[in-house]
Amino acid sequence: MTRLTDLPPAQAKRLAELECPDFTTRPWVTGPPLPQRRVAIVSSAGLVVRGEMPFRGRDPDYRAIPAGTQAKDLLISHISINFDRTGFQEDWNVVFPLDRLNELAAEGLIGEVAPTHYSFMGATDPVLMEAHARELAGRLKDDRVDAVILSPV
Amino acid sequence: MATVAISLIRPQTENTRPPRALWVPFELGRPFGPPSDPAFQKRVILAALRLVERADGPVIIEDFCDDDPRAQPDPSWRRPFDHAAVAGGPGEVIARRLESEIEMLRGQHDRWIRQRGCTTLGLSGLLVAECARLAAGSLRGEALPSPREEFSPPLMLRFAVDDLKAYCLEAAAAGAAKPSSRQLGDWFWDQTASGAALHAIRTACLASNDERLKLIAGNFMVPAARVRATG
Repeated sequence: MTRLTDLPPAQAKRLAELECPDFTTRPWVTGPPLPQRRVAIVSSAGLVVRGEMPFRGRDPDYRAIPAGTQAKDLLISHISINFDRTGFQEDWNVVFPLDRLNELAAEGLIGEVAPTHYSFMGATDPVLMEAHARELAGRLKDDRVDAVILSPV
Repeated sequence: MATVAISLIRPQTENTRPPRALWVPFELGRPFGPPSDPAFQKRVILAALRLVERADGPVIIEDFCDDDPRAQPDPSWRRPFDHAAVAGGPGEVIARRLESEIEMLRGQHDRWIRQRGCTTLGLSGLLVAECARLAAGSLRGEALPSPREEFSPPLMLRFAVDDLKAYCLEAAAAGAAKPSSRQLGDWFWDQTASGAALHAIRTACLASNDERLKLIAGNFMVPAARVRATG
């Protein structure tokens, strides 16, 4: 059950034909090799640190996830129930690979792991998320992040 | 700053045309592949991050072609308990079965926590027995409570249901076997009192006059692929 052809036909059709944002520009930047990069994760899985307010419906804002967060303290509050959660239940790296990034940094394959990571709730209209996304980009710049993994769920 | 997107739905990525993206063939919900397989996960992350070093933009979409080995069923996995499939019944009967099943699974869930050191329960802020009582109450036709003032009663029900599902699925996955999500989902939705309860709650809520409850129950309680034609 891994490809569109493995999904129920109605779900596969809806996902494949989902209206996507139409960007008029093609932003493109280059930079140093990976061992000199500071890497952050920005997920759209509706992740929230335990004790903080879960995403309620299609909230357009984001949640911050400090790099010191432990697996036992991260929850998924994404509104959709049409994706697997058992992988995340067993191992948070399936959705939020912070342990793997820390290992890559220790091995020198990436420079550093950012001090803070972030999550949106991806079923929200991207237009409503734009102001929050711009604010988040400013926070990433303040943290001197120069490589971001954008992860769906 | 440079970004690289993980893509689970390739047509969406082709339409959006981000600067750099890595399509992966994994199930929705597993953007970095199989759980408890650090080497595999690391290959996915490195394949994505290496696109950051590429200079041949402005749009790069590459494929990661290795399938998730954990998508295959594990024949050694056993359901937590064996009983006849729970087809339904009057609300009170389903409610009692639900509360009883949650208690029956406690030992298995404790085992999960001992193995993993954590649980993903917690959205509702309630104990799992309280989640079961809340769900059972809705089956009995009781007015929905909202023990947390920041959550409306329908939202409270949604989070309680999310926690019940997490509890049952974690309990079922406790042990040495490595069941696929399909195995766990088939068990939960087709063979448990909890799954039958959620189908019944969904059906009851869809007949309610509360539009918000209808919306939440209709869309955010039973996965589309698991909705039964009869409700």
